[in-house]
Amino acid sequence: MAGLSFDNYQRNQYICAKGHAQPKATSTGTTIVGCKFNGGVVIAADTRATAGNIVADKNCEKLHRLAPRIWCAGAGTAADTEMVTQLIALNLELHGMWNDRQPRVITALTMLKQHLFKYQGHLGAYLICAGVDPTGAHLMSVQAHGSTDIGEYQSLGSGSLAAMAVLETKWKPNMTRDEAVLLCAEAIESGIWNDLGSGSNVDVCVMEVGKDAELLRNYLTPNVRAPKERSYKFPRGTTAILRESIREIVDVEETVIEFNKPEAMEVDA
Amino acid sequence: MNGISVDINHLKKGEVSLGTSIMAVTYKDGVILGADSRTTTGTYIANRVTDKLTQIHDTIYCCRSGSAADTQAVADIVKYYLQMHASQLPPGETPTTKVAASVFQEICYTNKDGLTAGIICAGYDKKNKGSVYSIPIGGSIHQQEYAIAGSGSTFIYGWCDKNYKRDMERDECITFIKTALSEAIKWDGSSGGVVRMVLLTEKGVERLIFYPDEYQA
Amino acid sequence: MTTIASEYGNENNSVPIEHRFNPYSDNGGTVLGIAGEDFAILAGDTRIVSGYNIDSRYEPKVFDVGDNIVMTANGFAADGAALIDRFKSAFKWYKFDNNNKKLTIQSAARYIQHLLYGKRFFPFYVSTLIAGLDEEGKGAVYSYDPVGSYEREQCRAGGAAASLIMPFLDNQVNFKNQFEPGSDGRVKKPLRYLSLEEVLALVRDAFTSATERHIQVGDGLEVLIVTKDGIKKVYYPLKRD
Repeated sequence: MAGLSFDNYQRNQYICAKGHAQPKATSTGTTIVGCKFNGGVVIAADTRATAGNIVADKNCEKLHRLAPRIWCAGAGTAADTEMVTQLIALNLELHGMWNDRQPRVITALTMLKQHLFKYQGHLGAYLICAGVDPTGAHLMSVQAHGSTDIGEYQSLGSGSLAAMAVLETKWKPNMTRDEAVLLCAEAIESGIWNDLGSGSNVDVCVMEVGKDAELLRNYLTPNVRAPKERSYKFPRGTTAILRESIREIVDVEETVIEFNKPEAMEVDA
Repeated sequence: MNGISVDINHLKKGEVSLGTSIMAVTYKDGVILGADSRTTTGTYIANRVTDKLTQIHDTIYCCRSGSAADTQAVADIVKYYLQMHASQLPPGETPTTKVAASVFQEICYTNKDGLTAGIICAGYDKKNKGSVYSIPIGGSIHQQEYAIAGSGSTFIYGWCDKNYKRDMERDECITFIKTALSEAIKWDGSSGGVVRMVLLTEKGVERLIFYPDEYQA
Repeated sequence: MTTIASEYGNENNSVPIEHRFNPYSDNGGTVLGIAGEDFAILAGDTRIVSGYNIDSRYEPKVFDVGDNIVMTANGFAADGAALIDRFKSAFKWYKFDNNNKKLTIQSAARYIQHLLYGKRFFPFYVSTLIAGLDEEGKGAVYSYDPVGSYEREQCRAGGAAASLIMPFLDNQVNFKNQFEPGSDGRVKKPLRYLSLEEVLALVRDAFTSATERHIQVGDGLEVLIVTKDGIKKVYYPLKRD
């Protein structure tokens, strides 16, 4: 069967009704932004993944590649953004091969929105989709229920309000590449400092018309951990060895067998 | 079963909604559609420059209200159906507004359990000139001389009823819509931003935009 | 009769709609107390949160409540403040009524139990800690549950990151799971009092680590140190993300 399996849906509803908690999926807290500039588009993300109030990953990657020059920043349920992004990347590749053309951002967006709409918001993927294609540079966003928005600048995730505050005050038309990168990084930083769901580092991806996309992994690292006050090395033997058994799982034996080693060859009769 | 009760009053958690003010008005040269530009998620304005006037065919547009995801999906499907339909037509002929509106109605009616979509379909075709169809939430269809919809429309029923005139001039009609939407935006918290308009006439499509400092004056 | 999963309305009703006002909220933060041989400390971060928002980056929550006793109540900030206010007020009356008699830490501890239990059916939503010196001059830390059950301990973590810090303290203060090398797990590492320097280092490491892995912990760390010479306050910045 193609698609997702809902075999355990009723059973899980029953278990929930009995008072057991649903497993936590990583995670909703995120800040992602995107911004257009003269001759291209840039997207950026923070790198914190959370499960409830616990930081699950301090340096995760929220920038996904849909095609070599189309990238996508993901907020929402980590697994959903990852899988939906991989699926659309695959279909874009096939679509590109079949039509012998470079994939377009609008194609990626349409595939994403139709897929997400089909699942009625149960796939918790909130994406900012950007890239360059033969029709120019584009920046769009998709929400979990399948609605899309187009704009010169976008922000999504729990830190989107903090990021949008920066974008709304500092954005101006016709920016240069460097200005756009700086603006996006600053918007993400605003999320990192002011939103508990976002933190750690800033990842950036720049897509310029006629150039290869450039992923600037950990473009900013404003949250390096200070060295610890003490060493927590334990002397060998601190942990008791209660039982020890060493087994040889594989016996390696080597025997050289030589098959009828040729005698000195006779050259003439 | 004690009567039919369908919970149409609310969107799924976290869904993006078009708490909207939209309208379409027939006038002398054809039809004008108008809309505000606000999209909200709860109290947050997710998009302040939304384009709720969506092209379905050359001179057929629709105004969308309700769930952003649902109305975009429906509009995309209708657009696809109309492309297929247009390709079957004799050369030079284009689909009528009625056909487009009927496809909207069919989809909204058969999927009424799953959709939150209030649509106004309006267009210009040679046979009928400008025409307006309202397709509210249950999937019924109503041809009207003008239609208003969305959460902001409740505030302007009286005003529109009093001030609408048949076969208005272009500028008169633009002012009518601008004033109506300006009032709707003023009183409705979930409407706002700019006022967008699309004019559909024999000459084709013309787009207009009005910023708050103008329409609020 | 079977229920069909797709029957509409089914999903919406699985999340009950709340009609009643909920008087509690969680303001995050974490606290920690350690007792030494002739000192005791109470430490807490200075961040106040609500939901995913930071309400304050510096709001002290460990207080000098008089007679060389320090106190903190972490959890719901309003209840924490109310509890400490009530204690301070009662403390004043105690001094007034008893010719300025010194309040011992045992007595303070027992009184706080009554403050908490007094609201048994509408509790203070806090984990409370007090620290000071006992009548022999030895460091003392008392910890409470929200309705007043208490205990004297060598160390205790409370609040949002308690579950992250407490195991670390068990291992580093009480030497849990540590054995003498070569004893084959038969001789536990002998207990000893930690020096103030060692304790401060542990506290800072506990808080920097909690900051790394708990989103409600950060911004600043304030430590109140109690010795026979009085109370000293120190502040260390923490990460602000």
